[in-house]
Amino acid sequence: MDTQPAFPVLVCLRLLLAVLPLPGQDLLKHDHQLSSPLTSYLRLNEGLWLLENNINPYTGGAFHHSPLLLSLFSTIVPPLPIIWAVSDAVGAWALLRIWRARQGLSPQKGTRSNAENLIVSVYFLNPYLLLPSLALSTSTFENTLTLLALMFASEGKVSSALLAIAFTVHLTPSSILLLLPILMVLVSSPVSYLASPRPFHGNLKRIPILFGEFTLYWLVLVGAACIMAGGSWDWVRASWGASLALPDLTPNPGLWWYFFTEMFDHFRPFFLMVFSVHLVIYILPICIKFQHDPLYAAFLLVGVLGTFKAYLTLADPGLFLSMISLFPEVHGYLRHPIVTTLLHLHAALLLPLQHVLWVSEGRGNANFYYAASLVMGMAGGAGLVDACWAGMRIAVGDATVWAEEKVDGEKGKGKAIWWEVVQQ
Amino acid sequence: MSHYALFPLTLGQILREYAITELHLTLNAGKWNYDNWGHPHEAGVGTGAELWAWMGVSEVTTVDERWSGLRNALSGLFCASLGSLDTRRTLSPTVAFPLSGSTPTFAPHELRHASLPSENVCTENLTPFLKLLPCKSHAGLAALLNPQKVFDADWHGMGIHVIWKEDAGVELKLTLQAVFNPVRTSAGKRRDWNLQSLFDRTIERPCPVANSSSVTVILPEEEDHKITPENPTYADGLAIYGLSSSSNFTIPLNIGMHWPSEHSFHYPLPPLTPVAPLSVKRTIHGTTQTRGVLSVSVTNNSPQELLAGYLEMMPALLTLWMHTLKVEINSQLRSDLLSGLKYHPPSLQSNDRLSPSMLQAVLTIPPKTTLKISMEVNKAFLKYTEHPPDAMRGWDLPGAVFFPLPQLSHDTCSSCDWERIYTPTLLVDLPTPDFSMPYNVIILSCTLMTLIFGSIFNLLTRKWVVVEIQE
Repeated sequence: MDTQPAFPVLVCLRLLLAVLPLPGQDLLKHDHQLSSPLTSYLRLNEGLWLLENNINPYTGGAFHHSPLLLSLFSTIVPPLPIIWAVSDAVGAWALLRIWRARQGLSPQKGTRSNAENLIVSVYFLNPYLLLPSLALSTSTFENTLTLLALMFASEGKVSSALLAIAFTVHLTPSSILLLLPILMVLVSSPVSYLASPRPFHGNLKRIPILFGEFTLYWLVLVGAACIMAGGSWDWVRASWGASLALPDLTPNPGLWWYFFTEMFDHFRPFFLMVFSVHLVIYILPICIKFQHDPLYAAFLLVGVLGTFKAYLTLADPGLFLSMISLFPEVHGYLRHPIVTTLLHLHAALLLPLQHVLWVSEGRGNANFYYAASLVMGMAGGAGLVDACWAGMRIAVGDATVWAEEKVDGEKGKGKAIWWEVVQQ
Repeated sequence: MSHYALFPLTLGQILREYAITELHLTLNAGKWNYDNWGHPHEAGVGTGAELWAWMGVSEVTTVDERWSGLRNALSGLFCASLGSLDTRRTLSPTVAFPLSGSTPTFAPHELRHASLPSENVCTENLTPFLKLLPCKSHAGLAALLNPQKVFDADWHGMGIHVIWKEDAGVELKLTLQAVFNPVRTSAGKRRDWNLQSLFDRTIERPCPVANSSSVTVILPEEEDHKITPENPTYADGLAIYGLSSSSNFTIPLNIGMHWPSEHSFHYPLPPLTPVAPLSVKRTIHGTTQTRGVLSVSVTNNSPQELLAGYLEMMPALLTLWMHTLKVEINSQLRSDLLSGLKYHPPSLQSNDRLSPSMLQAVLTIPPKTTLKISMEVNKAFLKYTEHPPDAMRGWDLPGAVFFPLPQLSHDTCSSCDWERIYTPTLLVDLPTPDFSMPYNVIILSCTLMTLIFGSIFNLLTRKWVVVEIQE
């Protein structure tokens, strides 16, 4: 059995959504949850207009997309909704291939059709991913590229994986978090060792070489972007600088915007540094702890990005949530899945509601939306803690079995009623 | 400019210090109603403060340094908040604001223009203005300027215009315009007026150093009016009263006009035919605080096709989405009527502030037609420190400017004879953060971050054990 009926059906549905004129599309395009100033379709079009009229798009402070996207949409293909649908299809396909690589199946032939249908559906039907894609936010491309990088890495295709991650880092510099786990996947394997942790199994000496190759690709992309931008470096400040210096304080579901709206001017640079460093600080601990399963480390870092990234949109936590389907072995060990689900539900309902109350109705104020974004942050954090816990808890296994084996050898039956696994 | 017998020393020093070739400062209150009032005598009637200056490029100081010094000096001189006309409001729209004197040949010249629509014009601006006159408010026409009456007018504004002329030197023109409505202030709804009723004062004596001094009354077209004192010099529908000492009018002079046969004045009923060739309406639509549509409708009232320059100087608070620019006549797209489009997006200044964006275009307006220009705009989310103290009031946006262009054809049309038109200012409400929240936000956000950070590092670093739970 090598076909998964869900995939072609969902791709067709997604293409249909792209072609059909949807009633609320204009509202979606302007929605602050679905696209940030860095990914907005409106700004992309403005950049294309400016370019067409021989005005440097990066001077205005309104355009933050990479010159590569600009030249793609100005010369090769206009920004049509169908491209977003195709990108979604590629993303789902990449997720499927990651799953197959992790299960040790051949990339072309899947067997467990039910699981594969589920994975594809979870990607296509995840509202956090579907809505930004319908809003034509370029975060769809970033997600697809991230998944492609992970897919190539899982399949051991070194150059393709490094090129894909170089593209991702070029589009969103904060994706640099995923570089180390991807390099680790490349030199070891994507197969799950969560249940039986072992020291890092792979040739560490290859990592610097791979890193060099990545740097080369990245530099080539930077050079290409520079040529596309007409030889000037304005775009670096406008596109990469934006996620470091946060010049645009448009609300989003993340934690940065209100913090820096309310920040005292003289503390602003310090806290910008703290927030940026805070992202990077997760790389090493997670990669060391999950050295036996670097794909899982990459998944956790996607979760970190989906919670703490500057200019967060729903597409970022969406990728994390959809990737959960890749790791069915940990589902039984999640720490508080119901709490996490409810938090996400709470945030997903509150965010649009409070946003409307604040900026459209004028009945609420900024604090309403801020409270909703805090819930979103808690949901992201809870999901992350859940996944982190489950990834380690699975190694301990069933407490009773473990305990009985151990206790039988010692002193026979005790008065214990049950056993529990805890951390000390 | 070496002797300051008549030329005000304070202004002269500023002009010398900053090497200003041409300077125009206007401080106006209210919106000029072009449709009913026609064109003003002085074109600069934009609401609030407007300052523009032409300066020669020199090697000693940059134009921007002198511009900054100029506005600070003028703000001190006129007690107006011109100091806030900083880089966030400064542009160089040379086509709409050309040199009105001679074109200097000694150095290339640059223009700096800024406007502050929220500036309130009041007595503290009038007093320094009067001090620039040689007779101050003691004699001459300036004696009429009773602040209580002038600031009660439907519209009032003052202007200082310094123009350099190659053969004549520096020309200083001080103007004060006001629109009074005698019907509103009179008890019996009559339109009779005289200087005493308008200003509470009469002309007591001419200023002795004035070469000429005159009052001109434009006579209405109807016949039934009477003008006092009688026997002015009539010329071309105007009545002129010369005030020089040799004139035969009695001093104090109280010029007035009355309609003996009219019991009370009845306003003409609409529809009124607009007096000016162009009528302009400019609005921002949209229900949310984050975006809207800026729409400008321009009506050509004349029977000839009109070419008009359109200038939009938008502070970076509003982002214009140029790709959504639409030109319509009767809901039909007519992009061919907009030409010569020049757009400068906001640019980042050295002090990390964004300059305004500038949109300039040439509109071809067919006769007796309304042209509608619309584009989407985004409203900025500002830091809480960038909001003014009365943040909920909103921000005033400067009006757009329409200006005549040199006609290509040589046939002179009467309706082509018009000057700069300012549209009324717009009030835009930006989304505001909660101003009492800085500490709370820092505390809450940091708590959440440390909570997650702490939980994860706790998980990653602690040891797993199986414990026995006993009842």
